[in-house]
Amino acid sequence: MHKKSRILLVEDEESLARGLEFNLTEEGYRVTRASDGKKAIDVYESRNFDLVILDIMLPYCDGFEVARRIRVKSPQMPILMLTARTRLQDRVKGLEIGVDDYMTKPFHLRELLLRVRGMLKRKMWYQASTKTKPAYRFGANEIRFDDLTARAGDRMIRLTPHEAMVLKYLIDHKGKVVSRKELLENVWQIFSDVETRTVDNFIVRLRKYFERDPAKPIFIRSIRSAGYIFRE
Amino acid sequence: MRKHLSLQYILIFILAQVAWLSLLGLWIYWYVSNYIIYSKVMEKTSTQMISERTNIIALVGGLILMVTVSVGMSLLFARLKSQIKITRFYDNFIANVTHELKSPLASIQLYLDTMNERRIPRSKQKKFLKQMMQDSSRLNDLINSILEISGLEQKKIPHRFKIVAAAPLIRSLVKEAGEQFKLQTKAIRVEGGVDCRIVVDRNALKIVFNNIVDNAVKYSAQKAQLRVHLKRTFKDLVIDFTDKGIGISAKEQKRIFDKFHRIYDVNVPSVKGTGLGLYWAKEIIKNHGGRISVFSEGRDKGSMFRIELPIYRTSQKRYVRKLLKMTQKMQKRLESNEGENHA
Repeated sequence: MHKKSRILLVEDEESLARGLEFNLTEEGYRVTRASDGKKAIDVYESRNFDLVILDIMLPYCDGFEVARRIRVKSPQMPILMLTARTRLQDRVKGLEIGVDDYMTKPFHLRELLLRVRGMLKRKMWYQASTKTKPAYRFGANEIRFDDLTARAGDRMIRLTPHEAMVLKYLIDHKGKVVSRKELLENVWQIFSDVETRTVDNFIVRLRKYFERDPAKPIFIRSIRSAGYIFRE
Repeated sequence: MRKHLSLQYILIFILAQVAWLSLLGLWIYWYVSNYIIYSKVMEKTSTQMISERTNIIALVGGLILMVTVSVGMSLLFARLKSQIKITRFYDNFIANVTHELKSPLASIQLYLDTMNERRIPRSKQKKFLKQMMQDSSRLNDLINSILEISGLEQKKIPHRFKIVAAAPLIRSLVKEAGEQFKLQTKAIRVEGGVDCRIVVDRNALKIVFNNIVDNAVKYSAQKAQLRVHLKRTFKDLVIDFTDKGIGISAKEQKRIFDKFHRIYDVNVPSVKGTGLGLYWAKEIIKNHGGRISVFSEGRDKGSMFRIELPIYRTSQKRYVRKLLKMTQKMQKRLESNEGENHA
């Protein structure tokens, strides 16, 4: 199904853009190219896309700005940042804006294609499952999965795509223990045995949003050496 | 963060100066009050306790020492400031150059991966190879330019100066630059005529011309339009490159020839580059005994780069003779090297 996905490729390096376009088209995606930031925003606003591949250093308007503009319009759009910048602060800045993934140049073709496929698959899963139930209520909280907002009592919260996905996954598996590995694989598409704090950090954040006392959680509980469980 | 750091240094410097000056003040106060007490005691006892001359020597000597310390500190501070500036330039350079090196590399890797993992028709393969060759020559150019600039700074690059007629040389260099950047003949034209000779290294001057034309192309919202005007003054040949590009603000005009300097402005297309091009041009023109400068009335008003090169006259000039001599020496050395190699 994802084979007909539409990808917006924003890259000003002509030869790299051409090579990527060729490969993505070979994979069955429909590719539209934009060679600078302004054009990217114009094209994005006039058409529908399923994924955006974005360079940072672009003429007129940089990739961060483009990502920000895309996020305002569509909070769920998967964005893959592809850049020659390797500095930590660029990575952090990208992730803060809500970029879903970050790859540095030079990259391996196969890895890029895998990541694109993973991001599209996640998007489809999320869209399919939120279409039937766009909102979910528990306790004094209400989560809207379609526009990534939530209400906790009187407080309005903006969720990042990853936060929403973690929540969605836990809610979909209500009453069952979900391991960290499972979350990493299904939300982040990270297949690795390396221990990571990523999941725990997200859980801490979600508890801060939705639990009355984050130290004594009622909804999102930890199960020692197994993972997490969502209960109402 | 950096700004914060240099502010800290300035603060430390000011505090140190205040400390020195207070010490100086305190010292003078102490000296004067003691002197008054001594004088009073001396008047009463009418004895000559202290020689006045030593006192003055001590005071003046002390003052001189203080001033020396203060000047020393100022010098140290100035040095520190320039060090900070250099570090900043260096960071800029690393970021720019990394980007410039990685982009063609990423492209080459992508095409290699593609050819390795897919079945590519023969015609497409040729296209990919051509693309890779372009990328590798881009890499090569960049590496060469970095090496050449460092050679130029240390005066190790052999210039091949020759006496040539100015107008035909400039016309042909402009034509070549136009061809390289795919400008139509109408988009770049030479005006004015001069009848004089100059002492130049054609290849070096070609780099300068290409850099100026490249900038005009990069920093034009529409297709670049360039006018090259030639005239002469009593001593110099003046070449003006006027474009209808996005212009340069007064603040940037001062720094545009600085090493690694690049313009960061939201309204300016963040065209990629190392920040070396115009610095390189400046160094080359300097080596020719000339000057390069920029004029722009500001945003969207276009800009004008002016190159002034000394005109060659038989009656003069030590500088020109030096250049020619340098070339002869270099050629002789090359020839003898070749001779040795053949042998």
